[in-house]
Amino acid sequence: MILNAEQLMMRETVAQFFAERAPISRLRALEHEPIDISYDVELWSDMVALGLTGITVPEVYDGLDFGWLGLGAIAQEAGRCLVASPLLSSVVMGQNVLLNCGSRAQIERHLPAMLSGDSTSTLALDEGRAFDPESIVVAERAGTMSGRKIRVLDAPMCSLIFSVARRESGELGVALVSADSRGITASGRRLMDLRDSGSVVFEALQTETIEWLEGLDIRGGLQKTLDQATAVLAAEMMGTAREALERTVTFLGEREQFDVKLGTFQALQHRCAQMYCELELADSAVAAALVALDHDAPNTSSLVSSAKALANDCLTLISSESVQLHGGMGVTEEMDMGLFLKRSRVCNQLLGSSSYHRDRYARLNGF
Amino acid sequence: MSQDQLALFRTEVSAWLKTHCPASQRQPIVREEQIWGGRRRVFPSADAKQWFEACRDRGYTAPEWPVEYGGAGLTPEQAKILKQEMARLQCRPPLYCQGLWMLGPALLVYGSEAQKREHLSAICRGEIRWAQGYSEPSAGSDLANLKTKAEDCGDHFLVNGTKIWTTKADEADWIFCLVRTSDASPKQAGISFLLIDMASEGVSTSPIQLISGESEFCQTFFDNVQVPKANLVGELNGGWAVAKELLKHERKMMAAFDGMLEKPAMSLLELAHYAVGVDQDGRLGNSELRSDIAQHLMREQAISQLGERIYWQGKAKQSDPRLPLLMKHLGTTETQTKDELILRALGDEGLSMEDECVPEGLRKMVKQWAFNKALTIAGGTSEVQLNIIAKRALSMPTSEVKS
Repeated sequence: MILNAEQLMMRETVAQFFAERAPISRLRALEHEPIDISYDVELWSDMVALGLTGITVPEVYDGLDFGWLGLGAIAQEAGRCLVASPLLSSVVMGQNVLLNCGSRAQIERHLPAMLSGDSTSTLALDEGRAFDPESIVVAERAGTMSGRKIRVLDAPMCSLIFSVARRESGELGVALVSADSRGITASGRRLMDLRDSGSVVFEALQTETIEWLEGLDIRGGLQKTLDQATAVLAAEMMGTAREALERTVTFLGEREQFDVKLGTFQALQHRCAQMYCELELADSAVAAALVALDHDAPNTSSLVSSAKALANDCLTLISSESVQLHGGMGVTEEMDMGLFLKRSRVCNQLLGSSSYHRDRYARLNGF
Repeated sequence: MSQDQLALFRTEVSAWLKTHCPASQRQPIVREEQIWGGRRRVFPSADAKQWFEACRDRGYTAPEWPVEYGGAGLTPEQAKILKQEMARLQCRPPLYCQGLWMLGPALLVYGSEAQKREHLSAICRGEIRWAQGYSEPSAGSDLANLKTKAEDCGDHFLVNGTKIWTTKADEADWIFCLVRTSDASPKQAGISFLLIDMASEGVSTSPIQLISGESEFCQTFFDNVQVPKANLVGELNGGWAVAKELLKHERKMMAAFDGMLEKPAMSLLELAHYAVGVDQDGRLGNSELRSDIAQHLMREQAISQLGERIYWQGKAKQSDPRLPLLMKHLGTTETQTKDELILRALGDEGLSMEDECVPEGLRKMVKQWAFNKALTIAGGTSEVQLNIIAKRALSMPTSEVKS
């Protein structure tokens, strides 16, 4: 459950890189960009140059094979700076749905461009108000595919879209389509955390333009992909939570009222200590989930659900408390704390809320 | 020690346990059959006696203590293997004793050679049962405020005062106490650590009735008790350091007490199924309870994952000293959450500890609910734990009031 020397070094490098190159001010700059711009392309190409597209990719496919625990550590560092990038959409979701659901030929055809940064991809899954991978309606019928996908991360900027859809036979499939195909409209939607999660509309998309992934176990591969993405998002959330708590503790150690530092008040100390307990608790669950992914453990899905539910609750608590403990400053745009709060609520809805994961955990454990 | 040597050790230990631990001692422990040792010890069965003596003679009552003091001299890795094999084979803990968990580790650090020789092997051999004398009616969380006085009378100390929450003091042979030997300031600087034979003239105990209906704890009174000078552990007025060393072990023990306690009649999930049944999809019948149980199980699992993280960090020499500070508060709070879930699920059957119409196993769980309210109080209250976390883990500024 701890990082090896190479992973530690990678984390240090990445932490320094994000601190220098991706401060929160850079995220705020996105607000003034057109709505279709969901991340800073220059920042992204530097991330590619650092090798971040290949962290978990096996060496046979020219990846670094640093493992999920390694990628989790990088996601944590990204979370500290609230970095907007296609790390989750393309590197985790897109690449892995290809690796888990694609045939060897398909992987060899599409993966190299993703690793080199020449193409980015995303996974179009959600259709309704809440995350629910079991109810997919978008389907191929009589030679065309129509329907609407929402909460598609970085939708307008990616070149390839992996869309979960029903095949003519009624079976679940993953349709790989080029984003510029006729019959596809990808539109951006700026969420309150300044990230982009748009929609993809298929309108009589011709079946000939679809490349169905041909792996042997689409359902299993999809579940694995979602587990991987959920664990990495939970790790990112832990970085966000850790940063918020550290900023709050620092603030309380500096701010004076009633002639003393606010941090001397026991009521506030206990709230911070409680948050710290929740942080390390959730972080342990996240580490266990990442390790399980690295070992392909049989109870991985259960551990992932546990990690996401605890990460949701932990970041919800820490971000709310951090705004409160910053006092009046906490609710101003001058401070960044509001962004941590908003990011937390967006993360809660991505890849499953706490109630979704508690229910899934119960189901997986026979109750 | 190499991996091969450890693997060999595991094989040997496993074989030894299989030979020496009778089948009756490889059942989950029940409270009435715990072996607490002491001058008045009785064994619940011949098997229990045989198992205890086999462990005693091999030093397995205190696996990590040096052989010359009655332990087995195992390395931490070996001791871990022994613990794992005992758990795997469901062997009962051979001996329960405050001397083993708390006094012994502190004596190993602070005791004189004579004290180690006199007391450690008596503890390992289950001959002397110890009680702890720390808290007083006016010194709970503010332990340093203790008033029990040990007056220097040349060849002995004269002890007067009272100790509270002394676990099973009425059955103990000796008690280790914090006593005031000076009025120096700060209060911590006038405290000494003293070992007192409960058979001394002037020592008396009186049980305390708890909300769980039990009386595990006593109040112990010292009325002009003469204690030999040789029973002072560490420096005169240096008892606070010994006490802190000992508290470390107490917290560790309270955070990881699980396998040593009596197993409840049913697991939480079994009990919930028994109480509310299943719905038409075969899932636990009450969806709110289902969700709350899932939440609890996740947290319980995460607490052991935090424990694993601490273990692996230690092994890789990357220890984060902040993490162990969280275990007591997290662990004890989660146990109480579980108890509340049990009570909620039980409904009507959870409303009495005495009603004989309710199966005994369930009533024991209700008693446990009440008893476990002490977990977040004993061994440093949750509030004190949070103070420590704020100060040491988060380096928050201290106020003028002394903590």
